[in-house]
Amino acid sequence: MARPLGSSQPRFAPGCRWGKQGDDQVVLFPEGMIRLQGTGQSVLELCDGERTVEEIVGVLAGRFNSADPAKIREDVTAFLEALQQKRIVDY
Amino acid sequence: MIPNPLALIAEITHRCPLHCVYCSNPLQMAGAKEELATGGWLRVFQEAARLGILHLHLTGGEPLARLDLKELVAGAHACGLYSNLITSGIGLSETRLKEIVEVGLDHIQLSFQDAREGPANWIAGAKAHAHKVALAATIRRFPIAFTVNLVVHRQNLDCLEEMITFIEQLQPERVEIAHAQYYGWALKNRDSLMPTREQLDNCLRIVEAAQQRLSGTMRIDCVVPDYYARYPKACMGGWGRRLMLIDPAGRVLPCHAAGVIPGMQFDNVLEHPLEWIWTDSSAFQRFRGEDWMPDPCRSCDRRSEDFGGCRCQAFLLTGDASATDPTCSLAPMHNVVENARLQAAGQGSASEVVWLYRPNPE
Repeated sequence: MARPLGSSQPRFAPGCRWGKQGDDQVVLFPEGMIRLQGTGQSVLELCDGERTVEEIVGVLAGRFNSADPAKIREDVTAFLEALQQKRIVDY
Repeated sequence: MIPNPLALIAEITHRCPLHCVYCSNPLQMAGAKEELATGGWLRVFQEAARLGILHLHLTGGEPLARLDLKELVAGAHACGLYSNLITSGIGLSETRLKEIVEVGLDHIQLSFQDAREGPANWIAGAKAHAHKVALAATIRRFPIAFTVNLVVHRQNLDCLEEMITFIEQLQPERVEIAHAQYYGWALKNRDSLMPTREQLDNCLRIVEAAQQRLSGTMRIDCVVPDYYARYPKACMGGWGRRLMLIDPAGRVLPCHAAGVIPGMQFDNVLEHPLEWIWTDSSAFQRFRGEDWMPDPCRSCDRRSEDFGGCRCQAFLLTGDASATDPTCSLAPMHNVVENARLQAAGQGSASEVVWLYRPNPE
């Protein structure tokens, strides 16, 4: 499976969702959970199956207005590809 | 400080329409009359969530044999647990599946015994395969995670490529290729289940190629079986470190097989809070941490990775639950595992196999 495109619309894979561990927000999936921090959590919160990768990059670039959008795009696509290989995200 | 458990394995019944020759249930199973009632389980799920548990594994036996399964899934969902249904699929219609998905089931793990109907039913001791194939297509229409579990062993490993192709067509997100582990019924059938070294080497090669080919489509998990590994498995992630198991009668165990260890007392959720059982009961403290370890474990660099391996296996193979797991190449009694491998290598063909099938408890 290839990396997401700018037009891909990432979302949770079936049966993967947010959960709580104490006060921390975690991602729950069949084999376990991951605790995301900072940007990773922000990216996944924006993955609603409607926003495109390009739109997610745009939102994040707006939030961190000093950051380079090309760098953000690279980080976001690498992050989503890694979660897709774990079958936590689909796009 | 003792960390919170992360997962609860709820063996809600030992009743099962299948008779798999490698079943992980104990030889002494709980009968239907002993089973915890609906309200008992619901209270336990609430206690589990408060204790920090995130995952609930509803298993058995066959969990579908419990007519209150929908209430149990709903109760688990209501207290925030991620619910996994570990099933043979026997007893699951589309209507029943729809009901349990609607009340919050997150994930279903469906077992297969083989890709070929005859051998699959031979291992299960029941005509189950055709129903499972039809059910897989139904499951895929629901918005839940879908995993296929395939137990592999001497009698089916030569068809592994065919089995992976078969499972691919069922379109799960994940497949667990699980080597039979020798406890309970599987230990009774070990000589006919244990693969040869050659089968294992082929298996690892086939799995690696399939993982590459299917990357991003179907995640394949497979680990080297401990009888052929250099070091033991980190059984249950360490005794009393991550997991609790409750049997159908409400007894709480650190793992599936701990009932075989002599002198253990397993406290019951009907008599004690789950939190007390986790932190203070004698069963959970018995092999927690490193104080119990003999040499070579206590001075071994790997003791914080594999926690000395499996206590039940140590007892079953050496007669001493405190011994180093004999699957470890450093264990004083590693020769018992070497002998088992040699014995397996000398076994005859499938036509000579006489299985001891797992019975259905009363």
